[in-house]
Amino acid sequence: MDFELTEDQKRLKESFAQLCAKEIAPKADHIDREAIFPKDNIELLGKSGYLGMGFPEEYGGSPGDHITKAILGEELAKACAATYLSAGASAGLFAVPVWKFGTTSQKQKYLPPVLTGKKIGALAITEPHAGSDVLSIKTTASKKGGYWVLNGSKTFITNGPVADYYVVVAYTDKEKKRDGISLFLVDNGTKGFSRGKPLDKLGVRGSPTSELFFDDCEIPEENLLGELNNGFYSLVQTLTHGRIGMAVYSLGIAQACLEECINYAQERTAFGKKLAYFQDIHFKIADMKMYVDVARELIYKAAWMLEQDDPQAILFASLAKLFISEHATKIASDAVQIFGGYGYMKGYKVERLYRDVKLGEIGEGTSEIQRAIITRFVEEQY
Amino acid sequence: MEFNISKEDLEFKESVYRFALKELAPLSQKLEYDDREEFIIENWRKMGEFGLLGLPYPEEYGGAGASVLTTTLAAEALGYAGVDAGLLLSWGAHMILCGVPIWQLGTEAQKKKYLPKLASGEWIGGLGLTEPNAGSDAAGIQTTAVKKGDRYILNGSKMFITNGPIGNVFVVAAVTDKSKKAFGISAFIVEKGMKGFSAGKKLSKLGVRTSPTSELIFEDCEVPEENLLGEPDLGFVNVIKLTLEWERSCLVAPAIGGLELGLKGAVEYAKQRKQFGKPIIKFQAIRHKIADLKMNLEAVRQIVYKVAWLKDKDIPAMMEASVAKLFVSEIMEKMSSEVLQVFGGYGFIKDYLVERGYRDSRLSSIGGGTSEIQRGIIARSILNFK
Repeated sequence: MDFELTEDQKRLKESFAQLCAKEIAPKADHIDREAIFPKDNIELLGKSGYLGMGFPEEYGGSPGDHITKAILGEELAKACAATYLSAGASAGLFAVPVWKFGTTSQKQKYLPPVLTGKKIGALAITEPHAGSDVLSIKTTASKKGGYWVLNGSKTFITNGPVADYYVVVAYTDKEKKRDGISLFLVDNGTKGFSRGKPLDKLGVRGSPTSELFFDDCEIPEENLLGELNNGFYSLVQTLTHGRIGMAVYSLGIAQACLEECINYAQERTAFGKKLAYFQDIHFKIADMKMYVDVARELIYKAAWMLEQDDPQAILFASLAKLFISEHATKIASDAVQIFGGYGYMKGYKVERLYRDVKLGEIGEGTSEIQRAIITRFVEEQY
Repeated sequence: MEFNISKEDLEFKESVYRFALKELAPLSQKLEYDDREEFIIENWRKMGEFGLLGLPYPEEYGGAGASVLTTTLAAEALGYAGVDAGLLLSWGAHMILCGVPIWQLGTEAQKKKYLPKLASGEWIGGLGLTEPNAGSDAAGIQTTAVKKGDRYILNGSKMFITNGPIGNVFVVAAVTDKSKKAFGISAFIVEKGMKGFSAGKKLSKLGVRTSPTSELIFEDCEVPEENLLGEPDLGFVNVIKLTLEWERSCLVAPAIGGLELGLKGAVEYAKQRKQFGKPIIKFQAIRHKIADLKMNLEAVRQIVYKVAWLKDKDIPAMMEASVAKLFVSEIMEKMSSEVLQVFGGYGFIKDYLVERGYRDSRLSSIGGGTSEIQRGIIARSILNFK
């Protein structure tokens, strides 16, 4: 057992934290307020090697394990949750299935531009009538000559309005349910493919989200990703990455709340003394610290298990995501409380964090879905 | 970073579990001990024979030289086997709170005299710190020790002392220089039978009723000077420093096992209990309680192991230990309530162990530093205030 970060991890964390604090955090408020996609941030993350970490070097990747990715991800999410989310949707949700299930030519085409931040990727699963209940999707793909023809629509797609490439989930044999789903690569600009306008959201407003429409959208047959009718299982294999990623999202926001409160409680005076002296305030901060520290260990454990290909990694990813996302929501609410009126005002970081944090309980499988998954494991165990 | 547990540790944990399930659990699960508030001495002796009562002490003093992590794993196994929380509390007070200070601060003669007896279980130990008017504010104790010839004369009383009624030896804190506050409190090894020392009658408690608790009374109690433990005036500070991280890993570790046992029990019950024509495990409200139990169990496990690991590495972990202690206590209370809820009416009556578990769990946010004290320690480690 070894709970300590390696020297490399410590060094990387520090330099990446500096980069985030200098280049990314200062823009976060503006990005949120104007709902601007921070394309330059993504490029910067590509250059810094963050996006490609853990991917093979031949496709633009760089060495790195899942724990290191989580360590750096926390710094990014802390600086700007919207940038973190879009980066994760592109270099994680899109790139991981391409890497795991793609042909050499697919990997050669899609991975280098996405991992270097020059192009943006997205993963399209959710539909207007199929969120948690993935098997209820209606989008279909049928073979016609040398093409696949896609019909249907997607919604709540992170990077939807700005992506260059999409992994799209569609039924190729609806009767067979989970054994009839396939994945497809769709390039922006393909005939019959269009994108809705950015949806107006509560939080992570700098990370654009939209609907996608497939209207007799024709894609070449070589754009099938992975085996035909095996798409559901391919997705399941990548879920662990996404869930750990979303857990790190919540962790970064919770840590940001904690740091904001630590500073504010030592600056703000009330009744003749600093807020930190009041027991109610410093107990709230102690609770934040406790949940953040416990969650971080749980996330590292899940990341380590994923690294080991442990079959329970998916369970631990769910445990970690459920744990931190719900506590982070409470932490952000307490942070606004500690800031009082200021916390309720635009321009104060905790106001944004309070809005951003809620996504952690919804994205990458709601808390309800995580609980369902966890119970299925436990039921079998005892 | 890696989270593998060594093969030897896993095997040891498994052997403790099998031993406890076979040898300790049958009596531990008899509720009449809880009813009568009776310490299960037969189990205590068996724990001694198995070598569990002095695990971390060096072999030359009758221990097994176990690491903090190994000791923590053993504690977890005992909890999971269903050993009564009272016995495990007494174990912690004996082996950690009394034995560790003697091992770490004691003279060679003190270690030779006390540790083998503690490790075998022939003697039962305890720590006398809390007083009627000094609980969380431990440095506010009023018991005094005055040097007189070759002995110290102790006067005062101690309160809520685990193993008080059954203990043979106690590490006792007493003020030797009031002007120096926390740095004027010494530690003494006091034996049952020393003149002027007596234990009060057993206190009747809400939970952990198989672990006897009482006052300790010192009336011109004469303690030989060679029973001073550690440096004069600094015994208290050193005892606290030494036992704290042990206390907040090993001592809370039975809770990991207890939580898992509660989870297992709730799952098994929910599978067989039928309402509205189906097993209640089919209801989402029950399923999601089970998910929360599992989530919190794994979180508790990871954070307690971390404190044990830090302690084994000799990395100062005051704040981490408080995080773990606070978290475990919060979870114990909430989760024992959720387990009881799954059992419904049956959970509320005495025939089911969940009722006892619910009562036992309530101690966790009081003993070993209240949750409020832990929050204070955490806050002070990250915020600048006095």
